[in-house]
Amino acid sequence: MDGFWLGLAALADGHLLFLIVAATLGGVVIGVLPGLNATTGAALLLPFTIGMEPIPAIAVLTTVYCAATFAGAITAILINTPGTSASATTCLDGYPLAMRGEAGRALGMAAVASTMGGVFSVICLMAAAPLLARAAYNFTPPEYFALTVFGLSMLATIGGGYPLKNILSGAFGVLLATVGVDLLTSVERFTFGRPELSEGIGFVPVMIGVFGVSELLIQAGQLHVVRTRIAMKAIKLPSMADYRKTWKTILRSSGIGSFIGILPAEGATVASMIGYNEARRWSKTPQEFGNGAIEGVAGSEAANNSATGGALVPTLALGIPGSPTAAVILAGLTVHGVRPGPTMFTTQSDFAFAIFWSMLFVNLLFFFIGLYGAKLFARVTLIPAQILWPIVFTLSIVGAYALEQSMLDVWVALGFGVIGFFMRRYGFSVVPMAIGLILGGMLETRLGQSMVMFDEKWWLLFTKPLSLLFFVLTALALFGRPLSRLIKGRRSAKRPQQRAREKTPDPRQIKR
Amino acid sequence: MAAMRNRPCSRRPAARLLLPAGMLVFCAIAFWLTMQFDRVPPILKRGIEPSDFPQLVIGLIGLLCIADIFTDRSAPPEKLPAVVWQTLMAMAGFAALAQADLFLGLGLFAAALGFLWGERRVPVFIALGAGLPLAVFFFFDVVFEIRFPRGLLTNLWYGWA
Repeated sequence: MDGFWLGLAALADGHLLFLIVAATLGGVVIGVLPGLNATTGAALLLPFTIGMEPIPAIAVLTTVYCAATFAGAITAILINTPGTSASATTCLDGYPLAMRGEAGRALGMAAVASTMGGVFSVICLMAAAPLLARAAYNFTPPEYFALTVFGLSMLATIGGGYPLKNILSGAFGVLLATVGVDLLTSVERFTFGRPELSEGIGFVPVMIGVFGVSELLIQAGQLHVVRTRIAMKAIKLPSMADYRKTWKTILRSSGIGSFIGILPAEGATVASMIGYNEARRWSKTPQEFGNGAIEGVAGSEAANNSATGGALVPTLALGIPGSPTAAVILAGLTVHGVRPGPTMFTTQSDFAFAIFWSMLFVNLLFFFIGLYGAKLFARVTLIPAQILWPIVFTLSIVGAYALEQSMLDVWVALGFGVIGFFMRRYGFSVVPMAIGLILGGMLETRLGQSMVMFDEKWWLLFTKPLSLLFFVLTALALFGRPLSRLIKGRRSAKRPQQRAREKTPDPRQIKR
Repeated sequence: MAAMRNRPCSRRPAARLLLPAGMLVFCAIAFWLTMQFDRVPPILKRGIEPSDFPQLVIGLIGLLCIADIFTDRSAPPEKLPAVVWQTLMAMAGFAALAQADLFLGLGLFAAALGFLWGERRVPVFIALGAGLPLAVFFFFDVVFEIRFPRGLLTNLWYGWA
């Protein structure tokens, strides 16, 4: 409980408050710029935090995460281009609302739903993370190994891409994590005799490359896209009728988003899709969805913002990122010497709670920024690509260099930018690769420790109940969807045969 | 020919095989490299040999590549616009120029990118090519005390000694 209040006391620091306000504004700008999202923004800002103490540094990253996730709605509503992928479903109803002159109402609802979703998720985070950490306190290496495998298996569904390619991308990331000197045996692996590679490939330059540089190349292919902004007179708070219509949707989507966020690797994008679909399913007027339903905006925005807090639960309690941006935050924790995991809530609980309180503050802050600044921030979306992307590239390269002050990191960022671009072009999501790179080291260490525990009898990994449970969940995550599709396919194949049988009289009966 | 057109996969078989085949070659090379890792005596190996885990992952990647050959029915990507290739060339140019000076490379790349993407205003070129790298350099140098690699331009600030 001490950590709870000490964390709150940390917010009394004027310097920290200033940083949070600045990061909120920065996060909103990042969120409204099409092509830039919370993950890219956090990766680009990570080098700027190197001179900071751990609490302000991680608070800045989480602030950018929350603010950018919210701000994606501004462009989704005003220019029908989601600023972040998590706001893609907001376009479906937000833009039609804007088209009929109700942009202010849509943005007002987005701000209210985002704030409520965000606050709900931070409360969940405050309650669930210490509980999960306490539960994980008794985890032994086999359980951790199985949990990490489960986390990686969840990558299959990330980004809506092709599951097999996502797993391939994740496995490539895990392989990249093996580059460098093996810490247990001091054997060099894939270093090619280069001392710079002895510590392995850095997370940060890879992330800057795959999220920042590769996006520049993607944007190069989309220069023909013309964005027009819908004029907006003023933002207004939703009416009482709107509240009556949406409060259940907001609550439901907040719960869904927090739960989806807690699942390893699943982030705001999946949450917003499910939140939106559930809003439509429970709505009394589902026919309005897609034509400007205010519940659609509320369902999508409450879900994607509540996923931010949820995603930090496994990140902080287990060291397993709950979303792509949480992976960058995890890298930030490592850079600042903070070890996430069960011990964080006993040895550094004030740190953890300072982050939670700062997130709560941010969620309240962007409510006002969203309401009163959206008109101004919407103008940012019209910055020409030929001015924006040279700036992003310069910051990417200097950011990659700054962390270790090594030119190798610049080449890594550049190289992975090109690799990431071609991966995305051929249907491979780069997010699993980034998460695989982060989890790879943990996976190998836990496997090695488990092998020592079990005297190299790997099959004993399946004898521990909890690890067996995680392996079963892994199998479900990997094969559940194809299996259900197969079963559905067989059923639908049987049905026409049955119908045909019913229609066709039995030949034996005819004979009679 | 009509039968060929009606097949579920729109890519020609050879082109469709190119990517997984390339990945399988990558796996083969990576696996060969793992066989060159030093082996450690049993007392030191702590459960698994240093080559075991990478080999396991490479094996998984190989299996997934083979599965991809049989299951991938995605449409081929559209042809890349010329501006993407030009941007890639500009990046290669940046990599070459950065050998001489990181900020020289960044400035010229920023200006070139602006030009390639349709910018024609001279003040914008000056801002991107000179103002942007200068601002970033001094911000990181003064605020974060980052020491950048020496080069033609950075030596003007750091001195030639």
